[in-house]
Amino acid sequence: MTAYLLRRVPSALAVLFGASVLIFLLLRLVPGDPATILAGADASPETVAAIRHQLGLDRSIPAQYLSWLRGVVTGDLGRSYLIGGQISDLIGRGLSNTLILAGAALLLAVTVSLVVSVSSVLWDRRWLNAIVAAANTVTVAIPVFVTGVLLVLVFAVAIPVLPAGGLPPDGFVARPDIAVQYLLLPATCLGLPVAAALTRFLTEALRTELAKPYVLTARALGIPRRRIVTHNALRNALPTMLTTLGIQTGNLLGGAVLVEAAFAWPGIGRLIEEGINRRDYPVVQALLLFSVAVFVTIQLTTDIAHAYLDPRIRIGGRA
Amino acid sequence: MNSSPGDLHRRNFLRGSAVAALAIFGGGALAACTSAVSQQRGGDDNAQPVRGGTLKYGVVVDLVPANLLTNTGTTPYVVGLVFETLVRYPHDKFEPQPLLAKSWTVAPDGKSITLDLRDDVKFHSGRPFTSKDVEFSLRTYADPKWSGQLKSTAAAVTGIDSSDPHRVTLTLAHPLSNLFDLLDTVPILDSESIDQLGTGEKIVGTGPFRFTQRIPNQQLVFEKNPNYWVPDRPYLDRVEITIIPDNQAQLNALKTGQIHLADGVTYRDNENLAKTDGYRVITYEGAEIEIYVGANVADPVLSDVRLRQAIAYSVDRERIIAEVFRGAGYAANLPWPKNSPAFDAARNTRYSRDVAKAKQILAQLPKPPKIPLTYNTALSAYEATAQIVQANLAEVGIEVELTPTDNATFVKQLIGAQFPGLWITDHSWAQFVPSTLTVSAYPFNARKNASHFESPAYVAAADAAWQLPQSTGPDAVRAYQALSDQLLDSLFLIEIGVRYSQGSATRKLHGFNWTKRRELALTEAFLA
Repeated sequence: MTAYLLRRVPSALAVLFGASVLIFLLLRLVPGDPATILAGADASPETVAAIRHQLGLDRSIPAQYLSWLRGVVTGDLGRSYLIGGQISDLIGRGLSNTLILAGAALLLAVTVSLVVSVSSVLWDRRWLNAIVAAANTVTVAIPVFVTGVLLVLVFAVAIPVLPAGGLPPDGFVARPDIAVQYLLLPATCLGLPVAAALTRFLTEALRTELAKPYVLTARALGIPRRRIVTHNALRNALPTMLTTLGIQTGNLLGGAVLVEAAFAWPGIGRLIEEGINRRDYPVVQALLLFSVAVFVTIQLTTDIAHAYLDPRIRIGGRA
Repeated sequence: MNSSPGDLHRRNFLRGSAVAALAIFGGGALAACTSAVSQQRGGDDNAQPVRGGTLKYGVVVDLVPANLLTNTGTTPYVVGLVFETLVRYPHDKFEPQPLLAKSWTVAPDGKSITLDLRDDVKFHSGRPFTSKDVEFSLRTYADPKWSGQLKSTAAAVTGIDSSDPHRVTLTLAHPLSNLFDLLDTVPILDSESIDQLGTGEKIVGTGPFRFTQRIPNQQLVFEKNPNYWVPDRPYLDRVEITIIPDNQAQLNALKTGQIHLADGVTYRDNENLAKTDGYRVITYEGAEIEIYVGANVADPVLSDVRLRQAIAYSVDRERIIAEVFRGAGYAANLPWPKNSPAFDAARNTRYSRDVAKAKQILAQLPKPPKIPLTYNTALSAYEATAQIVQANLAEVGIEVELTPTDNATFVKQLIGAQFPGLWITDHSWAQFVPSTLTVSAYPFNARKNASHFESPAYVAAADAAWQLPQSTGPDAVRAYQALSDQLLDSLFLIEIGVRYSQGSATRKLHGFNWTKRRELALTEAFLA
C-alpha cells in the first residue's frame, strides 16, 4: 500500500503544480488588470503605473508566480487586491454560506423526493402520476433564475411572508426560526430541480423493485403493499438514488452561483464572479486552485479506497 | 415479516421524513410567531425627527478600500459617512459653506488662502483634528497611488503652513479657480491609520458615523459617532450597507422592507416605483453625470472633424434621455449642467439633431468604412444608448459595429487610450467649477486624454480657465465660453446629455442628503 501511495501522490502533486501554472498564466491572458480597476476611469497612466508597482504587477511573470507559489505552499494565500481582506477568510466565509444553502437545498430535495416517490408508488393512481410527472417536467425545464424570480414575486412581494433574499441579520445560530425563513426561498429554488430528478429516479427504481419476484412472494404471503414498499423495495432502491444524488450534488453547487445572485446570498459563486469581474488575481487564483485541489483529493481518495479494497490495483496488476 | 435492525422501518421512514420536513417548513409555521418580514418592517409614517434606528442601504458593488479617494462605486457612501471636508458646496451653486473650516480668506492675488479650522473636532480615535491633518490629507491626496481625480489641483498647492493647530495657510503655484472644489473634495484623513485605510481594516475620520465592521462582499456597518461636533446629531444609531449586486434583487429587497434605500434599481423600475405608495425616487441633483460618445481622433477616419460633426448632428439625444434614462436628465452638446457658470443655452444646442445637415456634410466626404463603437456592459443603459446611436448613424449613412466590452477591459482601454474608433460611457466632474473637468477628468484632460486629441489652443483655454482667481464673474464666463468653443469645434467628445443618478427609498426615510459627489450626508437623516 505504501508503494502504491508513493506512486500516486507525486502524480497528484504534479497535477496541482501544472494547474497552478496554467491558472496563473491564463488569468494574465484575460484583458484588463487590477491596477486599471483600482485606478478608476479618470486615472492617468502615471497613476496606473504607481498602483501596478504597489501591487508588484510590474515584476516579471515568473517572479510573480514564484512569490504566489511560495505563499500557497506556506499556507498564506495573501490579501485580495480589490475586494479587501485575507483570501482565506473570504473563501472560508463564502464557502460556509454556499454549503449552508446547498445543504438546505439537498435536505429539501431528498425529503420531497422520498415523500413524492413513495406516495406515488403507494397510491398508484393515474391522475397522481400525471401530476407528479408534469410537476417534474416543469421543475426540471425551468431554469433556477426564473424560479427564483417567481418565488420572490409570489412569496416576498405579492404575499409578503418570506424575505426576498440576503442572510439572516443575526446569523444562522442566534435565531434559527428567522434563519429558516431566510433559507426557504433560495433553498427551494435550488433544490426543486434536484428534487425532480431524484423523484424520477426513485419512482422508477421503486417500480422496478416492485416487479421483482421477491415482491410477488411477499404479496403471496399477504404482506400489505405499503409494508413491502417502505420496508423492502425502498431499501433496495436507495443505492440507485444515492448514485443520482452524488451527480445532482454537483449540479446543485453549479446552480448555487445563479441562485446566490438572485437572492443576494454572499457565497462562493458571488466571490468568483466578483473576483473575475475585477481581475482580482489572487482571489481567482486561490479559488481555481482550491477547486482543482478538491477534485484531485477526491480522485486520490477514491483510488486509494479502491486500492485498499482491491489488491490487484495496489500491486499494479489489471483489475 | 421480521426485519433486521438496519432495515428501514416504515415508522422510521415516516418519522425521519416528518423531522426533515419540520426542519425545513417548520420555520414557515413559526412565521406566525416571529416573521422575518415583519421584523424588517414596522414603524409609522411620521415626519417628525426620531432618534435611533438603523438605516439599511442596498448597494450594487462592494467597497474597494484602495479606491477610497476615487469617487467610484461604493466609496462615496463610505466617505460621506466617515469623513468630512473643509468646506461643502450646496447642490445648486459654487458658494462654499463652512464645515471643518469655519472661515477663510483668499489673498488678493489669488495665490494663497488662510483657513480657520474648528477647534472642537475629534477623529473617531479620539485624537483632536488640527492643521497638521489638513496638510497630511492634501499631501496624501496628491499621491498618484490614491488616484484622486483632483490631484493636479492638489499638486498646485506648493506650500502649507500648519504651525498654528487651528489655522492653515495654503500657498498656490498660481491662482486656482477650482481651489474650493479641492477643499470640498479632499476628505480629512487620519495619519495614524492611513496604512490600514487602503486595506479596509480601519477607516477613521471625523464624520457623523464611525466605521465598525466590514464583511467583504457582504456588508459594511457604521455606528453613530457619539462625540460628533454637531450637537445632537446624527439622529440615526447605525447604518448598514448591504451588497446586493442584482438590480431586481435590490428592488425586491426594497419592496419587502429589507432595505430602506437602494442605489441599483433601474430607471424603468424607478419610474414605476415613484408612482407607488410608500416609496420615492431620489434624484441626485447637483451631482450630475454626463453620457457621451468619445472619438479616437488618431484613427484616420475619425481624424476628420467633419465626420465627427456629422455624428454630432445625427445623434438623437432627446430620444436617449427619454427612452434610456426615462427622462431623468436632459440633452446637451456641452458637458456643463444647467447650474454651471459655463452653461450657455445657445452653445448647448449647436449640434441639435439635423439629419439633413449630417447627410450634407457626409456628401463632401468619401464613404467612411465601418467604425467600431465600444461600450461597457456593466450598465444596460450603455448598450441601449449604443443601439440608438448605431441606428441614428445608420440613418445618415455611417455604419458602426457595436463592440460590447466588460468593465475591466473597458477601463483599461479608456485609460490606455486604446479604443479603435468610437466609444460610449459617462463622465463626471462637470458639476464642479468648469476648469476642474479639463484639468482633472481624464477624457477631457487637455494634456493627455483618451481621444489622443492634442491642441495648444485647447491647452491654453483650459489653463486660462484654471488659473483664474475666481470661479464665477465676467472673466470666468468668458474663459468658460472659450473652453466651450474649443470643445464644440474639436468634438473629440460628443456629448449626449446630462443624466441624474437615482436612489430609491421607502418614505420612512427623511432628511436624506448628498454631496456633489453623491456622498451620503446623513447628519440630519432619520427613519420615521
